Parts: sequence; structure tokens; C-alpha cells
Amino acid sequence: MVKKRSLLRRIGFVLIILIIVSFSVFPFVQMLSTSLKYQWDWGNPSLIPTQINLEAYKELLNIGQDEKNLPESIKMLLDESPELTKAQKKAIIDKYKDTGSVFPFMTFLRNSMGFALTASFISLIIAILGAYSFSRLAYPGRAVMQRGVLFVYMLGGVVLLIPLYKLFVNMGMLVTESGTFASLIIIYMVQTLPVSLYMLGNYFRTIPFSIEEAAMIEGASRFSTIWRIIVPLSFSAIVTVFVYSFMIAWNEYLFASVFLRGWDSLQTLPIGLRQLFLSKNAIWDRIMAASMLTAIPVIAMFMLIQKNLVGGLSEGGVKE
Amino acid sequence: MNTVSIVNRGQLSLKQRESILGWVLILPAAIIIFSLILYPIFYNIYLSFFDVNLEGGNTYLGLDNYISVLLDASFWQSVLTTVIFVVFTTLGTTILGIGVALVMNKEFPLRGLVRSLILLPYVAPVISVVYSWRFIFDPVNGIFMDITMEKLGLFTERFNLIEQPQAAIWVAIIFSIWKGFPFSYLMILSRLQAIDGTLYEAAEIDGASAWQKFKRITIPEIYFVVGSIVLLRLIWNFNKFEEIFLLTDNVRVLSIYTYFKAFTGSMEMGQGASLAVIQFLLLIGFILFYVKRVLKW
Repeated sequence: MVKKRSLLRRIGFVLIILIIVSFSVFPFVQMLSTSLKYQWDWGNPSLIPTQINLEAYKELLNIGQDEKNLPESIKMLLDESPELTKAQKKAIIDKYKDTGSVFPFMTFLRNSMGFALTASFISLIIAILGAYSFSRLAYPGRAVMQRGVLFVYMLGGVVLLIPLYKLFVNMGMLVTESGTFASLIIIYMVQTLPVSLYMLGNYFRTIPFSIEEAAMIEGASRFSTIWRIIVPLSFSAIVTVFVYSFMIAWNEYLFASVFLRGWDSLQTLPIGLRQLFLSKNAIWDRIMAASMLTAIPVIAMFMLIQKNLVGGLSEGGVKE
Repeated sequence: MNTVSIVNRGQLSLKQRESILGWVLILPAAIIIFSLILYPIFYNIYLSFFDVNLEGGNTYLGLDNYISVLLDASFWQSVLTTVIFVVFTTLGTTILGIGVALVMNKEFPLRGLVRSLILLPYVAPVISVVYSWRFIFDPVNGIFMDITMEKLGLFTERFNLIEQPQAAIWVAIIFSIWKGFPFSYLMILSRLQAIDGTLYEAAEIDGASAWQKFKRITIPEIYFVVGSIVLLRLIWNFNKFEEIFLLTDNVRVLSIYTYFKAFTGSMEMGQGASLAVIQFLLLIGFILFYVKRVLKW
């Protein structure tokens, strides 16, 4: 009797875990499945594609697109005219290929990488100095600063969007391409700095001061102890903060959608994906493949730092 | 004369040098944060009294922006939508977070894998999951219509749930819970793991039931963590924009209402600025209410 009850409990427990996991993961499985299906297969509720279709990925990543859009007559012309040099042939093919102009996924990817890497790198450097100041140096006004930084959490994007937009317009930053790039980088830094300061500050406090003291007795300056001792010792925390900042910038939609208006060459992945969805050639397999390709770098990085991130989050550095 | 040369001359005490260095190191971060947060807030309050023109000058309107915003019925509609959204998503993420944390606190095979799978919704970019959710509710291809109409026969024809104004908010709420519960779960789990196991042992010796142990030990132990994640969730979801805006066009919470006012159509930035002020005041009221009445601090 007792055994039977515990078996039932066990089955119930496994069932609960299965429900939790499928609730969390189902949209991702759906995404992967649809990105690999042919159009005639979309309505099929089964998650396993009847036939695998990699076309969407190939098109987005511009793999093997050379011949696809080439009209038959041109293909024949190319085959029958050996007098054309390789360069000439390539020029003709290039004219027809260019799926990039339909949906320039690679451009979006590059821009997103550019914004996210630049913003998180600069913000990391500033945060290392700031966090050192928070955790190691005593000075009047420190507590106020630490709390003031937290205040950023209270403000939603939309509340800041109007004044910041007007501000950057007034400064004439949005007139040039590089100015627009810089403006958005600064905005991403504002969003990532508080998190970075907190996570790093908390980590620095766990490093025993005696190590630094020893170095300073040997004659090292404060700056060189930061670079020679603190940075190497907190390498894992630094990677974590970098990835976390990267993710914030990579995911950002609101500010990018307003600031990048009129700068097609700077558009990031979130903007591009929404454009693709709203455009006439919105095709589910391409949208899902693009979604997968947007999610994969972030998920991969997350897996890399998972352990540290979980610790860092629960120690108070959070931003959504 | 700059600070570095003062420091190098050694005329200052060690303490003074330290505080100067402290300020120097925090300065870049402080300048960026405060000039882009504090200044914009005041600038926003200033703008809210003007008819804002992006190219030319602004015209002073006094309280006109506030009056026209407050007299608009659609504004009150969006306040109501915001409150519904915030209350239900906060309840949902917290309750689900506690439940999942309790389950994940038990030992079972593959627990590490399961734990990281659960975090996926929180980690993945909003933009990358939002279209998958739209696909699930797609009237032609989606699995939701396939199950509810074809298999269960609940509806007589296929339709898009996300495009229905009444239903869209509930889809948005479920989506937001799905996206946000891993965070609550993570916070609660790390608190659960810190609870002293001997407390439970002692309770068992005294013959406490599982429910009694939960009520008398677990709840008091996680009380403050839950209190603070609810507070964070209230703040975040009150300001939530992307999750809702990208999922559906039919749920106008305050952020989205403001966005449409300020950046589409006739671009009423002045009214948008006054809306932002109102939204901020409402948030503060909301938090004060929560802290006083719910947390009883």
C-alpha cells in the first residue's frame, strides 16, 4: 500500500516536471520545427517536419544563392560562352544574386554585433573602475551614488525615450551615421552600467584586500593593482557581466526603432525581424529561421556563463 | 591643476587621496548615468508643458497637455489595461516561480539540464520568441486553433486570438508570465537552497505535516525574497513595452499608448511627455500602495 502511494507520487512528480519543461520549451521547439518545414507542411501540428527544408537558412545566410535567382537563359549563355573570363561571369551572376536586397539579414546581424560588442565593451571598462571605487574606496557620497544608480530600474524605456530623443536631436547627433551610432551606444551603456556596477562591485568585495595590500607595499599603484590583480582574479565575473550587457544591447528594440529611423544601413536584428514580419514577403519559415539565428548567439553565450550569471543575478544585479 | 598631480605630490593624507581616487574612478559611470537619467527626467517635465516641435521652437501651453490627456477616455482605458496586465502577470510569475522553485529544489536525475531548459524563456531575446508565439496562435497554421477547433470542437471557425481585442490581453499576460517566471523561480530557488535543513528535521521530529512545514518554515524564509521580486516585477511590468508591442497591436498599456501618441501620426511629443510624467507618478503611487498595504513595511 505504502509502496503504491510512493510510486504514484513519483509518477506525479515526473509529470509535473514534464509539464514545466514543455511549457518553457515548446515555443522554441515550434520555432525550430517551422523553420525547417516546407510551406505545405506548416499546418501540420506535428513538430517533426515531414521533409527537412533548409532553404530559409540558406537564404538568410546567403549560402548557395548564386544560381538560384538566375534565369535559365542567362545560365545557358554562361555555359555556352567560354570566352568570358571568370571575373566577367561572376559579375553577371552577382547582378542576379543579391538576395541581400530583399532581406539583408547579414547586415542586420553585423549591425547588432557592432552595437552590442561596442556598448558592452566600453561599459565593462567604465564599470570595472566604478565597481572598484564602490567596493574598495571609502569617500563621502558613495552610498548616495550606489543608491542613485539603482534608481535607473524605476524608469521605463518609454519614460526616457521622449526626452532623450529630443536631447539627441537638439545636439544634432542624429544627423550623421556615426553620430546616430554613438547615440545608441551611449543609451545602451546607460542601461547596462547599473547592472555591471552591481555585479562587479559585489564580486570585487569577495577578493581579499590583503592580496592588493601586498602588491601596494611592493610599490604598485592603485591602477596597476586593478589591472594586474583585480581583473585577472575576477575574470569569470567580468565575462559574465560582458555577456549580460551584450544580451541587453542585442535584445533592445524600443530605442533602436526610434533612433535608427532613416538609417537603413544601421538597422539591427530586432528591427529587421519586425520589418520582415510586417512585409509582404513574410513567410513563416524565414521568420522562424531568422528568429532562431537571433536567439542562438545569446543562448550559446548564456550556456557559457550560466553558473556565474545565476549567482550574479541573485546577488542583486538585475535589469530587465 | 588636476587631481593626479595633487595626489602625486603627497601633500594629502591617505584618506583624502583615497576619496579623490574613489570619485575619479566612479566619475565616468556617474556622468553617463546621471546626465542621461536625471537630466532627461527634468527635461521631460519641462517638455510636458509645451507643444513640442522637433525642428522649431516649443510653444508654452501650461497645463493643456495634461488636461487633454486626462480628458481622453482612451487614456483611462489604457490605465485599466495596464493595471490588469501588471496584477495578473505579477501574480502569475510569482506563483509559478514559487511552484517551480519548490519542485526544482528536490533531487532528481537530469536536474541540471532541466534547470537550464527552464531558463530559456528568460534568456532568449523577446524578438526571437514573439513570432513563435504568433505562429502558435496563427489562424491557418497554428497549433492552438488546430487543438481547440479541430480536435476539441470549441469553436466553429478559425480565427486569430491575438487579433481579438478582448482575448489579446490574456495572450499577452500568458506570454509575459512565460517570459518572466524563470527570473522569480531563480531568485526563490537560491533562497530555498540557503534554508537550514535542520529546521525541517526538527519539525519532522515534532510530527509536522508537509503543509505545516511549508507554511511555518518555507513561507517565512522566502517571504522577503518574494516581497522584493514582486516589487521588481511591478516596476518592470508597469513600464513593459517590447513584450506587448511586438506580440500584439491590440493591447494598449500606458507605455504603448505613450509611444503611439509621441512617435506616430501627428507626433504629439508634448502630450507624450506629460503621459510619461503621469505614468511615473502612477508607478510611484502603485509602489507606495504595495509597500504600505501588502508588505506592511
